[in-house]
Amino acid sequence: MRSRTPTRIALYVILALAALVFIFPFYFMIVGALQENPTTTPAGMFPTGGWTLENFASINERLPLLRALLNSVVFTAGVLLGTLTFGLSAGYAMSRLHWRGRGVLFVVMLGVQMVPFQLLMIPLYVQVAGSYGLGDTYAGMILPFFINTTAVFIFRQFFLALPEEMFEAARIDGASELRVLWAIAIPLVRPAIATVVLITFIGPWNEFLWPFLITKDASMQPLAVALANYIANIAQTVANPNGAILAGACALALPVVILFCLFQKYFTASDIGAGVKG
Amino acid sequence: MITPDTAPPLRPPTSPLRRLLGKQPLGLGLSLPYIVFLAAVMAYPLAYAVYISFFDYVFTAPGMDMDHPFVGLENYRTALTDPRVLQSFGNIAVFLVINVPLTVILSMGFASALNAVTRWAGAFRVAFYVPYVTASVSLIGVWMLLFSQDGLVNTILGPLAPDPSWLVNDALAMPSIALYVTWKQLGFYILLYLAALQNVPKELYESASTDGAGILQRFRHITVPGLRATTMLVLILSIITGANLFTEPYLLTSGGGPDGASTSPVLMIYQKGIQQGNPDVASAIGVLLVIGVGLLSLASTRLTKES
Amino acid sequence: MTLTRRALGATALAVPLTLAAGACSRSAVDAAQAATTRGPIRVWVSNNEQELAWGEAVTAAWNAEHPDEQVTLQEVPAGASSEEAISAAIVAGTTADLVFNASPAALPDWVRAGGLVDLTTFEGGREHIESRTGQRARDYAEDGGQGGYYQLPWKSNPVMVMFNKEIFAAAGIDPESPEMDTFGTFLEGSRQIVSSGASASAVWPAPTSDFYQPWFDFYPMYLAQTHGTLLVEDEATTFDSPDGLAVAELWRAMYEEGLAPREESTDDAMTMGTTAMQLAGPWAIATYKDQLDYGFMPVPSADGIAPEETITFADSKNVAMFSSSRNRLTAWEFLSFATSEEWDGKLLELSGQMPLRTDLLATYPDYFAEHPDYTSFADQADRVADVPYLSGAIEIWQRFRDEFSASAIFGKKSVADGLHDAAEQIDQLVQKGAR
Repeated sequence: MRSRTPTRIALYVILALAALVFIFPFYFMIVGALQENPTTTPAGMFPTGGWTLENFASINERLPLLRALLNSVVFTAGVLLGTLTFGLSAGYAMSRLHWRGRGVLFVVMLGVQMVPFQLLMIPLYVQVAGSYGLGDTYAGMILPFFINTTAVFIFRQFFLALPEEMFEAARIDGASELRVLWAIAIPLVRPAIATVVLITFIGPWNEFLWPFLITKDASMQPLAVALANYIANIAQTVANPNGAILAGACALALPVVILFCLFQKYFTASDIGAGVKG
Repeated sequence: MITPDTAPPLRPPTSPLRRLLGKQPLGLGLSLPYIVFLAAVMAYPLAYAVYISFFDYVFTAPGMDMDHPFVGLENYRTALTDPRVLQSFGNIAVFLVINVPLTVILSMGFASALNAVTRWAGAFRVAFYVPYVTASVSLIGVWMLLFSQDGLVNTILGPLAPDPSWLVNDALAMPSIALYVTWKQLGFYILLYLAALQNVPKELYESASTDGAGILQRFRHITVPGLRATTMLVLILSIITGANLFTEPYLLTSGGGPDGASTSPVLMIYQKGIQQGNPDVASAIGVLLVIGVGLLSLASTRLTKES
Repeated sequence: MTLTRRALGATALAVPLTLAAGACSRSAVDAAQAATTRGPIRVWVSNNEQELAWGEAVTAAWNAEHPDEQVTLQEVPAGASSEEAISAAIVAGTTADLVFNASPAALPDWVRAGGLVDLTTFEGGREHIESRTGQRARDYAEDGGQGGYYQLPWKSNPVMVMFNKEIFAAAGIDPESPEMDTFGTFLEGSRQIVSSGASASAVWPAPTSDFYQPWFDFYPMYLAQTHGTLLVEDEATTFDSPDGLAVAELWRAMYEEGLAPREESTDDAMTMGTTAMQLAGPWAIATYKDQLDYGFMPVPSADGIAPEETITFADSKNVAMFSSSRNRLTAWEFLSFATSEEWDGKLLELSGQMPLRTDLLATYPDYFAEHPDYTSFADQADRVADVPYLSGAIEIWQRFRDEFSASAIFGKKSVADGLHDAAEQIDQLVQKGAR
């Protein structure tokens, strides 16, 4: 785009300042987590000494970090699996296929988004832990998040944006509906999958209330529950509580942030138009 | 159940299955797992919650028989005459008034800016998305340190620091939370806008540019109208997530302080239903909240359609 | 046509719904049979290091003797949310057999929900509880002390005023004999601490809205001032009184003059030296023993009460048996084993928390000879009072906190109005609960 230079510079300055504001709390978190005695003075933002790994070591002493990480991975993977299979097929059915109940389902889906989880928590807990007997299991942890409704919604929007002619052409060629889904729709929607993975991933990874309720066995707790518990209860009893809190926050945030940075180029805006034309 | 089919004669004859399930019955098959999921983990607990909002209800252990008399709208009356509940609805209104417009404006602005630059775009995107992918539990600890009485923000502001400090000031607690949530969630909305921007034809910008339209004019006349559908989505999603605010008053202002100035309806549901064992009143608050959010979403849909 | 189509759509959605709902049935335990059955059991303990160590020791000792009645230990997270997790588990019937670490504020509601077992239904149940804890056990029984016990009063953390001796000395207060036992001298001393610059604040209880916070500011002083009158007695509130007012006025003055901050500390204020005092139980010794030079004094009252007569808040945690237990006889036997003199002694040794037993000092003389720090708590442990035994107690405490917060902490209304409004709301709730 041929913008004039001054406006371009202004754009860069604004974006850079905003990016700084967005990133600063993370800088604060990391620096504080590595300090013997984190302070909140401006000078404390650029410490020259007092570096330590003690804050992380003390978390490692109190929590089975690797086990918690594994639990988080299983929990998240289960949700991703459910969403990418059943969520995708539902999104497809609700956008490109005509069947009875489709409209009702869409309205129900929108309604579901509005219901606060806290309202459903106890009935849901009774159902999952009591009736299905899934307390302290991965299945019980995954179940309420198994298919992410926002993801279904996004899939539906993406499928809707695809031009009808491509589907018609395939159908005229005699392709079955399943074949159309597999050979045409899914390849085209690939850019959306990255976005859906991102928004689906962070749900279970960061979820705290539900896994806390469903797990009594400490060895089943995902990272978010273990660290939230550490931040709330245990950090107060160590010598450097702020350092411990920030280190706990880092331990929870870093795996996601690193994964995200590694894969960030896939989360660029998905150019559906180009895919269709090409 | 099945009425005689009086469809226009032009239609090709259809099998009974198709008549029952629609043109492409596969749709139902593909959606079935999701339908079962919604029914099992959403519809059933929700129906249960609505049901108990009309009864004098407490949860009991298996095998314990207890009378749950029907009380009509009594729980709703209790909820609506409780000043703390009303306060929480007022608080969430303040939250929405700050959070929703800010979210729409900032995310649209930043997304367009990101779309216009080529260099470092990846790095900028990472900066904007990172708060969104990080757990609130992590970030809240940091914000508490930044915004506490002797925190960095007040140290920098010096004499301009508010007294009482941000999170314990009734006038500032809710706006502080609204700012925090805007910051935290903005990445998601930028993502939505960036995706939508790819569908705004580049030629439009180019021809406008040749016509001598400045960057702001192009934004106003091409970007904003081109993004209308996404703006509607962003509006609805930010209203819904905003109305369901819970973690921040629960953790950042330790249970909705100071003096209830930052309680939210969902925090009330949690306190009454789960802490205090009054699921009946809690459900009534929940039903009122869902109705309110539904109406607001409808209104915002109308608004974006008309404008 | 449209109607049918809609109806069909709705039916398509409703079928799985009914399936899901139909699967929802919870099986109850046959109580009569369970009461005489032995077998493996599960036990929940708090997840703090010391209690966990005790739990591991006691289960190991038991398991060695009872190969067919093995006890499995599970951790219940400490902190505010543990009661919520337990409440939900009661409804689902997924509770363990026993819980060590239940808050007496939440217990009456669990009894109403049918979640607990009356311990006096076991042979020797009443004798064990009453001979162990003495007369005070009655405060934890049904029907105003006359009925059954759904909990065994287990351990207390009597609240005292802990202070930093260095800060006191710097403020010109004699750390060996602070003489701050009246509200007047407490306030005066607090002013001295802040105005001398010895510390930024005098005392720093969490000024947050959690229902349990009164237990660490208002309530201990109220119990001292009234010689042990509970928040609610004989189905009526007691605090809308000159005594209640005196305590609340003290706190209002503390907050208004900035002697107690209105914002929660982001650090441990005692360790950082940003405050001079805190209301704490014996657990604090383990936390601070290497960090600062501390002393303890009884909580103050309006005109001063001799330490040997001062009553304070017990902050007790108790043991209860869940009605989901199928091997209740084992559960009961393990419960009495774990609360025997020997294992209570072990709890004291490992955690420093006070078993709710009569005459601790005479029962464990060796321990207190070795740990003189804990002696004042052991002595205080004989004079404690707890939360009233009420259903709906958490809501009651929340109402109290909300009004206290509005009046004493944030000064939105007068303390008299705050206490009065709280009393009015709570009296209504008590009436409703007693119905």
